[in-house]
Amino acid sequence: MKEVKLFLGPQHPGMHGNSSIHMYVDGDIIKRSYLLPGMLHRGFEKSMERRTWMNNIALIPRICVPEPDPNEMVFALNAEALASVEVPERAHWIRMLVLELARLSAHLMAFGGIGGPTGLYTAMYWAQADRDSILTLFEEITGQRVYHMYITIGGVRKDLPKGIEKKILAFVDDLESRLPDYENLVLNNPSVQARTKDQIMLPAEVVWELGVTGIGMRSSTGKAYDLRKVTPYARYDKVEFDVPTATYSDAHTRLTLKYLEMYQIIRIIRQILDLMPAGKVREKALDGSALRWQVPAGQVYSAVEASRGEYGYYTVSTGGTMPYRVAVRGASFPQATLGIEKYLPGHRIDDAALWFDTMGICSPEIDR
Amino acid sequence: MKKTSIFAPFTGWKYLFRKPVTIPMDDIFKHPRESQDNYRGFHVNDWTKCIGCGTCSEICPTAAITMAQRADVQEEEGSLPERPVIDYGRCCFCGLCVDICTSGSLSMSKAYLYNSPDPEAFVSMPTDRDITGTPIIAGYVKDENSDLLDLKRKPMPEISVEESKRSFVEIVRGYSAEQAKAEAARCVACGICTKTCPAHMNIPEYIESVWKGDLKEGLAYLYKTNPLSAVCGRVCTHKCESVCSISNRGEAIAIRWLKRYIIDNAPDEAYESVVNAKVSKPGAGKVAIVGSGASGLSAAYYLGSLGYEVDVYERREKVGGPMRYGVPRYRLTDEALDRDVSIIRKLGVRFITGTEVGKDVRFEDLQKKYDAIFMATGYPYTRHLKIEGEDSRDVVLAMEFLSEATEYLRGAGPMPDIKDDVTVIGSGNVAFDVARTLVRLQNEKFGKSNVKMMALEQRDQIPADEEEILAGAEEGIEMNLGCGPQKIEIDLETGSVTAIQGCVCTRLFDENNRFNPEFDYNAEVCIVAKQVYLAVGQTSDLSYLPESVSNQLKMYRGKIQVNENRQVEGLPWLFVGGDLIRGMDIINGVADGHQAAIGIDKLLSET
Amino acid sequence: MSKINMQLKELTENVGKSYSVLQVDYPTPNQAALDFQPGDVHAVLAYLKGQGFRQMSLLSCVDWIEDGQFQLVYLLFNWEAGLRLQVRTRIDRANPVFTTVTGIYPGAKYYERDVHEFFGVEFNGNPDSSKPLFLENWDDMPPMRKDFDPQAYSDRKYKAREYKTDFNTKAGEGQ
Repeated sequence: MKEVKLFLGPQHPGMHGNSSIHMYVDGDIIKRSYLLPGMLHRGFEKSMERRTWMNNIALIPRICVPEPDPNEMVFALNAEALASVEVPERAHWIRMLVLELARLSAHLMAFGGIGGPTGLYTAMYWAQADRDSILTLFEEITGQRVYHMYITIGGVRKDLPKGIEKKILAFVDDLESRLPDYENLVLNNPSVQARTKDQIMLPAEVVWELGVTGIGMRSSTGKAYDLRKVTPYARYDKVEFDVPTATYSDAHTRLTLKYLEMYQIIRIIRQILDLMPAGKVREKALDGSALRWQVPAGQVYSAVEASRGEYGYYTVSTGGTMPYRVAVRGASFPQATLGIEKYLPGHRIDDAALWFDTMGICSPEIDR
Repeated sequence: MKKTSIFAPFTGWKYLFRKPVTIPMDDIFKHPRESQDNYRGFHVNDWTKCIGCGTCSEICPTAAITMAQRADVQEEEGSLPERPVIDYGRCCFCGLCVDICTSGSLSMSKAYLYNSPDPEAFVSMPTDRDITGTPIIAGYVKDENSDLLDLKRKPMPEISVEESKRSFVEIVRGYSAEQAKAEAARCVACGICTKTCPAHMNIPEYIESVWKGDLKEGLAYLYKTNPLSAVCGRVCTHKCESVCSISNRGEAIAIRWLKRYIIDNAPDEAYESVVNAKVSKPGAGKVAIVGSGASGLSAAYYLGSLGYEVDVYERREKVGGPMRYGVPRYRLTDEALDRDVSIIRKLGVRFITGTEVGKDVRFEDLQKKYDAIFMATGYPYTRHLKIEGEDSRDVVLAMEFLSEATEYLRGAGPMPDIKDDVTVIGSGNVAFDVARTLVRLQNEKFGKSNVKMMALEQRDQIPADEEEILAGAEEGIEMNLGCGPQKIEIDLETGSVTAIQGCVCTRLFDENNRFNPEFDYNAEVCIVAKQVYLAVGQTSDLSYLPESVSNQLKMYRGKIQVNENRQVEGLPWLFVGGDLIRGMDIINGVADGHQAAIGIDKLLSET
Repeated sequence: MSKINMQLKELTENVGKSYSVLQVDYPTPNQAALDFQPGDVHAVLAYLKGQGFRQMSLLSCVDWIEDGQFQLVYLLFNWEAGLRLQVRTRIDRANPVFTTVTGIYPGAKYYERDVHEFFGVEFNGNPDSSKPLFLENWDDMPPMRKDFDPQAYSDRKYKAREYKTDFNTKAGEGQ
């Protein structure tokens, strides 16, 4: 049979963000495939070199739509490491709260997103509605729903609004009580299971070969490879949580880990609200007005555990008012680029979207 | 994981009977959901607070904010007639403009719905309404955490009060390089100070030079408008700081100390390049400058740098006028003044000292010998009070005393004859100079001090700089405010002063806001003193002018009238500056000297 | 700053015994930055991979235009020990050629392609590295180079918007 050239995306319900898989198929089977990225390339790294340290806070959350906060966090961590700044205690806890809420919203989006490639749109609607409640919480905490521009050098921009703790607790209580419904709807759904169980395998060797992190890594190695445990930042060493792992990584396992992690997020959020001390939330870290902030020269990499894995920035400062260079390590880069080239071939066409979805891929962070 | 049931997914059906979480399309516009309290919606700008500094436009990461010139905003000190205009096609709603706003006028509303088919309709100038034009519900405002200005001034290292009140060592020690850079980093370079500074110094520019560590550039900026920066960096009345946009919510940038930092730390080659800055066409002509105070020196510098032949006449032995013989050295050292003067000397300016015009040389002769004359003789004499007992030998005049004291300290004269219990009348900067000098001399002579001050003004009316008032109090000067002297009591036998009789001042200014004090003569005040120092203002002496000149001078409220080039109408060769034409202030003098130099250059290059 | 991780210190000392380390820096307690001559990089990476640094998180490049050099930065991570390394080297900016590390870290394949596209560094042994990735129909120098001015590029390519509404007022006008 003749090989046919086929494009999946950039507009496709199974694709997260705008990128495309360029594949050559023989019948239903993918023979060769490549990622066609760049549709969301906006020159972030270049722009960051041309903006002051504070102005970058307004830019960088846009690198990742579903989970913008790790961008702000690693940018701030790098500047703080270079300037040897101690962040106020309360700011650490607020940052954790924001990062966990962001993880929850991203997990919901990705978990419900499985509805796209499997045709189970109810899951997507539910998850979007619940994610929207988190966005409302974000709106109250940070002033914006999607791009929060909240975590800043030296802490966070504002203290938590009064009474937000109650609203967060009410939300996580409610969500937790309904999580079994998600389980029934998605994980226990025979048609989803038929599409995901024993499908789209990710063996541990491939994880190490590509450099896959996050749930992909944990679902095949059986180890708690989570940066929150391995190199705790903020105050993750002060809260108790488990890292769900598995040694058999099919699409269903990865979905299941995502689902189980949501319980752990809720567990962490409850502890944060319980343990968070009072006090100031921002240290005036750098001299002068934000127009003239200068970060001491140096080169440092900081990473956090985002919902899709290790998310980091490599920052170079020469002591100026703008970063000299910032390199973004999107968590999905390895699996989306080399992964698609090397390990998607052999799958069926209809698995491609599912592959994309359950490997934890977010196009904007690849394109930058 | 539970055992898979084929019915598991259908548990979702129970949601069919729940209230939907979505908002009906119709309600989105008709009954829009109100956003949360902290929401960053559209901009609102309180025009009564906005000072047009443009800092919002500076920080905007998307270049969405431009400043519009507004004729409907009044020109005032401390503000610019400009207001921000926001392009919502660019705005990213980060709110950094709100967080850095110097005056606190910018905030954001809760509104989030706005639409128009016309792209122009997304450019808006916020007022107390946002772009939607409807009454606003307040959203995002800044707080101390989100504030992006540094409101706290870097403290200036000073010697302790205990040490300082016993010596004439300069109190202010000057910023270190690190402190100066940190202080300069607070500046937002709005330039409002430049407008207010009488000399219109390039303040944001030289502060930026300090911040960048380029003192050569900084020095060049200083000399553009002020050749007495070593002096002004120490004793300027810093009107610039009182209008500094940071001072709206915090402590003004220490503009004066930063200027001083440049002068004290600029490398020698930076000074060389100031002296050697060549003009393309050197001026031809001879100019006489009468008086070597601030305006005289300033004019001498600018005329000298333009290549004119300049002679400065000074009646005293040393140049500098009140900067030499008035300001005490704990505020201004001879070395600082000499540094400024030496640059002027290097330009080829001649100083003819010990020569009083009108006595040693006739004004008419200057008139013949020079192409232009700049009169800068200032207000060197102390005003009298015209009360009983004033002619006693124990009544001392401020300017004369300060001159004696400065001469004593440079080893050119004896210790002034001071008593151990003295009262200074007046509350201007000169009065404080007298009082604080007395504290030091008393400590030297008697090992302790007892200095009192008496003034008509109340605390909030005192004309002296705030830092003088605070330092005076720290040094133990007793203030007697709100009372006017009526009579100086003299012991008839010894002829010595024993006390000042006064009464309570009930009003300082009349309804037209003119100085016109009223007293309650029944409320008497008596202050014991063995010596009284008069520091109630100064006056000029123009008797050196021939009638042909003085008849031509037009006076208004005691000041000589001149045009914008400090030129006397009808006498085109005569220029006047400094105290003779306006309020006594070194920086005014500097500005006058510069302007007169421009005027003289114009006059001489046209003829 | 808190104390530098002992294990990390030991490791860098061990690296120093076998390879000539030009400079060591500890930007955080569990992160070390090591500079090497270009020729040493592959051996060092292979050695470090054997020491538990199984993951290459990122390969990036810094344009030190004033020094006439590109700096290649390999970010390695040891998941067991929680230690991070920056392995860095500088190559000639005028002749930016290096050898691929895909033999040691296969995941570097696309990172090298990324660095090629944005900085113009050639990676011998990675034939795909010179293919375009993100930038379709790019017609200028590699854009992350410091001498590429995006503002000038954009001004050249696109028309600036002209505003019709003027909020400036002269005397007598206004609200």
